[in-house]
Amino acid sequence: MMKTMRSSGLLRYQNRWGAVFVLPALLFFSVFNFFPILNALYTSLFQKKVLSLDPPEFIGLENYRYLLASSSFWNSLRATMVFTLGTFIPLLIVSLLLAVLISQRRFGRKFLQIAYYSPAVLSSVVAAAIWLLIFDPRGLANQWVNYIMRTPGVDHNWFSNAVMVQIAAMLVYFWKYVGYFVIIFIAGIAGIPTAMYEAARIDGATSWQCFWRITLPLLKPTVALVSIMSMLQCLKTFSTQYLFVQSGAPQAPINVITMNIYNTGIRDHRIGRASAMSIILFIIMLFFTWLQFKSMKTDEVTY
Amino acid sequence: MTGTSFFSRRWFASVSAKIIIWGILCVSLCFILAPLLFMLTAAFMPAGDIVKMPYRWIPRGFFLSNFVKAVAGNDGSFIFFRNLFNSLVVAVTVSVTTVLLSSLTGYSLSKFHYRGRDAIFMLIMATMMIPFEAIMIPLYIVVTKIGIQNSYTGLILPFLVNAFGIFMMRQYLITFPDELIDAARVDGMSEFAIYRRIILPNSGPVIATLAILSFRTQWDNLLWPLLIAQTEKMKTLPLYIVKFSTEKYTDEGAMMAVALLASIPMFILFFALNQYFIKGAALFSARKG
Repeated sequence: MMKTMRSSGLLRYQNRWGAVFVLPALLFFSVFNFFPILNALYTSLFQKKVLSLDPPEFIGLENYRYLLASSSFWNSLRATMVFTLGTFIPLLIVSLLLAVLISQRRFGRKFLQIAYYSPAVLSSVVAAAIWLLIFDPRGLANQWVNYIMRTPGVDHNWFSNAVMVQIAAMLVYFWKYVGYFVIIFIAGIAGIPTAMYEAARIDGATSWQCFWRITLPLLKPTVALVSIMSMLQCLKTFSTQYLFVQSGAPQAPINVITMNIYNTGIRDHRIGRASAMSIILFIIMLFFTWLQFKSMKTDEVTY
Repeated sequence: MTGTSFFSRRWFASVSAKIIIWGILCVSLCFILAPLLFMLTAAFMPAGDIVKMPYRWIPRGFFLSNFVKAVAGNDGSFIFFRNLFNSLVVAVTVSVTTVLLSSLTGYSLSKFHYRGRDAIFMLIMATMMIPFEAIMIPLYIVVTKIGIQNSYTGLILPFLVNAFGIFMMRQYLITFPDELIDAARVDGMSEFAIYRRIILPNSGPVIATLAILSFRTQWDNLLWPLLIAQTEKMKTLPLYIVKFSTEKYTDEGAMMAVALLASIPMFILFFALNQYFIKGAALFSARKG
């Protein structure tokens, strides 16, 4: 009875509604994602200034040639790469370690999760503002470092030294996101059947062996996913560096790509050049996304 | 009776391991919580007490004039409240539209069969690879051209829905029981009524997770408002914080007071609904096939 009622005509009528429901999103993505990226690609081939009345002049790959010869752009690439590597490697290692330690606790697990996660709740500008004061010459950062290194009264020039200001930016990011990745890893570890550990225990394995032989191999997909995700996040960093520079830190060491795009396009009105930079950023991120898909395919795990 | 086993090597090793583990947890916990505690205490201190060695972790009293300065601003315009309101308008609107559009699209992509459905899904997923930072300049030009810069429409429009939300809703709705939908059809409900009265009310936890995710992203958004909010009246909270904390006359106490005020809504949400925050993050640990 049901079968005859849901004849192909009725089914087609229903499915037509499905196609209608997808239209608003499709329209949105066309206008606000696909059009702009194609537009950026197109604009990157022109010399275009936002306020000028002259029609934009077609210059082919001149913008790209200019960028690849410009020391400021290479500096941005360097700053972004240093920031990305310097942030995501410690993030990955520390959050994995903490997640393993927290997962073993029977008591206080929930409290620890919430506590570690809490900085991630703050907005990035607030996080940067807090650390701005901590890095003050008379602030907490100097006090802590001097206490640990037994060097009373030394100012470590967090904002005037080119190396220190990069470390400062990494530290803010690390602090804000470490708890976020701890949560992801805890969820990943919780997905590993406890029977595997019990079996290993019966065979006389130590906790150390359990980690290297069970936890880490089975967590591989999560590790791959987290590393790519944090890398993509780091490549897009902006707020911390922007606030630091606005409050007087030197710009060159932390002039990441997004800040360079912003300054070139919005402050200097060089739309063509900024678009070329956007396309290069897009290609870099595309490469990492491709890497993510590739690693996910080869790293499939069966329990 | 327990004498020998109590002091055995094994016992000793396990106790020292425990001490090391708790040591690591305590030190890292201090590192995580100290800046938060610093913000909380410094907000109630006069500037002289904050940049002082050593830092005193307990305020001498409640120095509330920090908060007055924070909301009044250095020019005494009280634009803080307007910026706070703007942030709320943008974040709430974006959460609502993201939830509605993601669930509608996810419903279509999971429960209907029409030609090109899977291609459309792939196309939408492909937008995840386009970083906002790479399209902000073209978007800025379009928005300026149609004249919606410096308006709520301009602040909201590029974020109405996102691929990740659609992905989340689709994954959830794939497992949604078909019997429920078919029963509603037999009862003569229209397809849109099924979406509104069956799908939406039965997706509570996913919707909460998605709404919180969208709210936070917008609450945190600095780059887009920086591009298009030109007058003080249209600025959002992150812009206010940047402006206020980089102004010459701002003292440290007022700076932390404004940071604290801006974080209160998020912390209230976090403590009330922390399982959804954690669920949102834990989503990424899901193994994908």
